[in-house]
Amino acid sequence: MAEPGARHEGERGAGAPRTSASADALAAVCFAVSTLAAVVLAVVYWRGGNTQAEGALLAVCTGGIGAGIVVWAKQSMPHDEVAEHRGAIESTEEEVAAFTADYEAGREGLGRRRLLLGLAASAFGALGAALVFPVRSLGPRPGKDLKHTPYGDGPVRLVTEDGTPVRIGDVAPDGVLTVWPEGHTDAGDAPTLLIHLRREQQFRPRAGREDWTVDDHVAYSKLCTHVGCPVGLYQAASGLLLCPCHQSTFDVLDGARPVFGPAARSLPQLPLAVNADGELIARGDFSGPVGPGFWDRDR
Amino acid sequence: MTATRPRKPPAPVTRRVARWLDRRLGAADFARSALNKVFPDHWSFMIGELALYCFVILILTGIYLTFFFDPSSNVVVYHGSYAPLQGVRVSEAYRSALDLSFDVRAGLVMRQIHHWAALLFNASIVVHLARVFFTGAFRRPREINWMIGVTLLILAVFNGFAGYSLLDDQLSGTGLRIAYSITLSIPLAGTWMASLLFGGEFPGADIISRLYVIHILLLPALIAVLLSAHLFLVVRHKHTQFAGPGRREDNVVGERMWPTYASKALGLFFLTAALLCFLGGLVQINPIWLFGPFSPAEVSSASQPDWYMGWLDGALRIMPGWEVRAFGFEIPNPFFPGVLLASVTFALLYLWPFLEARVTGDRAEHHLDDRPRQRPVRTALGTATLSFYSILFLGAASDVIASSFRVSVNGVLWTFRIGVFVVPPVIAFATYRLCKELSARDGLPTRSRVTFRQTFRRLLFSSDAASG
Amino acid sequence: MTRRWSIAAVVLALAVTAAWLLLFGGRARAQTTDGALVQRGRSLYATGCVSCHGPDGDGVTTPNGELRGPSLRNAGAAAAYFQLSTGRMPRANSTGQAERKRPAYSSADIDALVAYVASLGPGPALSRIDIAHADLAGGGELYRANCAACHSAAGGGGALSYGHYAPSLLPATPLEVAGAVRSGPGQMPTFGPDSLSDAQVNDIAAYVEYLHHPRDPGGVSIGRTGPVPEGFVAWFFGMGALLAFVAWIGTRMPVRRRRRDAAEAGDG
Repeated sequence: MAEPGARHEGERGAGAPRTSASADALAAVCFAVSTLAAVVLAVVYWRGGNTQAEGALLAVCTGGIGAGIVVWAKQSMPHDEVAEHRGAIESTEEEVAAFTADYEAGREGLGRRRLLLGLAASAFGALGAALVFPVRSLGPRPGKDLKHTPYGDGPVRLVTEDGTPVRIGDVAPDGVLTVWPEGHTDAGDAPTLLIHLRREQQFRPRAGREDWTVDDHVAYSKLCTHVGCPVGLYQAASGLLLCPCHQSTFDVLDGARPVFGPAARSLPQLPLAVNADGELIARGDFSGPVGPGFWDRDR
Repeated sequence: MTATRPRKPPAPVTRRVARWLDRRLGAADFARSALNKVFPDHWSFMIGELALYCFVILILTGIYLTFFFDPSSNVVVYHGSYAPLQGVRVSEAYRSALDLSFDVRAGLVMRQIHHWAALLFNASIVVHLARVFFTGAFRRPREINWMIGVTLLILAVFNGFAGYSLLDDQLSGTGLRIAYSITLSIPLAGTWMASLLFGGEFPGADIISRLYVIHILLLPALIAVLLSAHLFLVVRHKHTQFAGPGRREDNVVGERMWPTYASKALGLFFLTAALLCFLGGLVQINPIWLFGPFSPAEVSSASQPDWYMGWLDGALRIMPGWEVRAFGFEIPNPFFPGVLLASVTFALLYLWPFLEARVTGDRAEHHLDDRPRQRPVRTALGTATLSFYSILFLGAASDVIASSFRVSVNGVLWTFRIGVFVVPPVIAFATYRLCKELSARDGLPTRSRVTFRQTFRRLLFSSDAASG
Repeated sequence: MTRRWSIAAVVLALAVTAAWLLLFGGRARAQTTDGALVQRGRSLYATGCVSCHGPDGDGVTTPNGELRGPSLRNAGAAAAYFQLSTGRMPRANSTGQAERKRPAYSSADIDALVAYVASLGPGPALSRIDIAHADLAGGGELYRANCAACHSAAGGGGALSYGHYAPSLLPATPLEVAGAVRSGPGQMPTFGPDSLSDAQVNDIAAYVEYLHHPRDPGGVSIGRTGPVPEGFVAWFFGMGALLAFVAWIGTRMPVRRRRRDAAEAGDG
């Protein structure tokens, strides 16, 4: 039943729907335009398609239907303010009592077989636990994988992505090159930055790593120790490596120590040497696990 | 001549079909009550519908895309019609996405409508959540529905992330790397969880096909089920309404479902579809051909996730480089902004109705909405929280801001580090005062007598014990 | 008779010189051995560059040890061409990062200065550019591997630390790209011929040229930088439009009789 009430702003008055010729005409135009757009859309598709035309025509087609319906609803359909009774959400005392009575009656049938119920529950629980085990098949034990890269399998040549060995002199001073261990250019944990420092840059090797550089060439893991993005921005003039993901900044001249941003660990360094043919080799694995940290990283 | 009984003219088709159905379903009574349902028709009550309609568009366009997309990490050589990638080795997934974009008629418009719809799906949910929060519509009996809604938000965010990561392009692959590393940072279980999810070390060969199942089956099914429960509860509780003439706690005043409300709802669906089609055809989104195929050794500057993950990315950026290390174990840096902050955010969201009830001592049923100005403390806390997350969102764009305005990115990040603590209290204070002003001016009574100062005490000791 | 012969000889010599100058003089960039070009460069250098870069390109250090202008001995044609044709050099001051601006010299003068700087000592040469015969797809792969990290996948540039930035490549010509790659200006690393061959630099330059007008089949490109502008469009345009629709369709709260309504509504 309609209750008297104040009018809403922008609404026609309550009561019988007022049909307005102009409103109906507007709705009619909307539907007509929509129909036309659908036809043109079919033609556009048949003629080879065009993303902009398809999108625009779909928009006109659906928009025409929508606008037509809304205009029709707003102008011509009834707007009586109707009130509906809202009952209490809670069940009544009688309903609860009746439910409880029936439930208790049923429970009598189950009897006092506590032990049986307990065993049934444990069977269900055990089944549930057992069903979780196949999840284990989803992936291997994390194990040592996170602390080992292909460099750790022994001295190996550094190569570019297409497998070409890198020689001393390939990288110009102030230059940078991304390299991999030979035979593992698809390894996700092995991308390495080979940097050729300028003679006048003051490189300060970490303790115990004095012989890890060759001819002003230094190599660090390319994986950021924050969340693993490749640290691709080498700012040659300042000797800084910047990671584009979260702006961790590493000082190349100080063992790639983080100087700004969320990274908390230096980029692991690779021990370099030159073999008899003048090619750069890695003598062993990085100075620490590459990439982002995890629970037992230091164990 | 045999006498023939006069025949009645045959009933119209619609009536005969309805009769046929009713003989098998017996739904006339139920259908009648559905027709007569009353819905309050304030414009802010229609925002949840926007999310529903975006979801429908997502399903429709998504089904189309599944016929063309190939969720495989196998490497192939691209030979489609996009010249700058001719002969490049890419994954099947990336190749099928390129084919959809360049060589399938109407493929690109479907892809773009789908992606814009995902952005607007998440945006509508957030605006709807804000409306429900600021009007207090989460109070009893709607706490369960609020929690279902928060779950829907989480599912929408995850499903969006899974969806755009399927394409295996450089930008989304970088995002997967970050997701892997955040999983890795969880103490004790992190390395296991990451290995089980990715099938080994990053990147592995399994994640794309697994995300595909998650994206087209698991999460949409969960969303559909929870959405149905969400709508069922709205019908069961009947919608809330603003106070006004003739409106009480024990009635609902508005328009009948049939024909007006149903027509408006249908019209809004088509208008939403129209906007999404407009964006999908005319505004380019996610140009994966420029980003290139994913490689774990490459990255582009200006790498951000889609907007609804921006708060996480911003938090990761502005967090200083602190870690917790002891006895050879560590809690890595990304855990704090990536896992802890996210958990606290959603925990607070889930618990909000109960926290508020504890502080105000108000555990009654409510069907009349508050006007935000009538609840200065709640509104102030809400706007402050929104400003906190907005700063995190802006933080995710730190490098874009720095290069657009030619300022130092380090300075931008420091500004956000300070701003994230300074701005919310200022906003809270300003909002509180504004609410007080507006409600005094309009002669509206404040609905609760709790002040900021009392809030903490009541939170800890419950309002029943505290008196001031 | 000898007088006629000597006149003829002089005329012939002049004619040969004129012909030789016409054929080989002037605009050839690679001709650093062309004495006239280097001479012209030297005289331009003496008026425009010597105050910061010193006579013979030795560089200038101020009395308190600051470098006013670096040595150009090893700058090479690549650096000189890049700096001059993008207008970064000459600079009024040396604070901050050099910005692209209108070149101060005509292209003929730039050729001369490039020839002169190249004659000062061994430095990176400008590689040969012929983008019509480049491998666009190969250039794209090289670009994404070496350049996108700083200059972004679509070439729009990006932020570096402490106020530096990698500039947008959209105004860069192929030869400027080659010059920058070989000389590594400012914060940019240097890519020599043994890490990127001339053909590879050519491919990269071709891809950068493509980025000036890439295919945008999806419509308005909104910057091609990905989710940041997309998020803004989704919120301001998309959500704005949707909220406008619901404002059109739905009702607003009654504005009149508010005080009385408040009393009626009471403490619901």
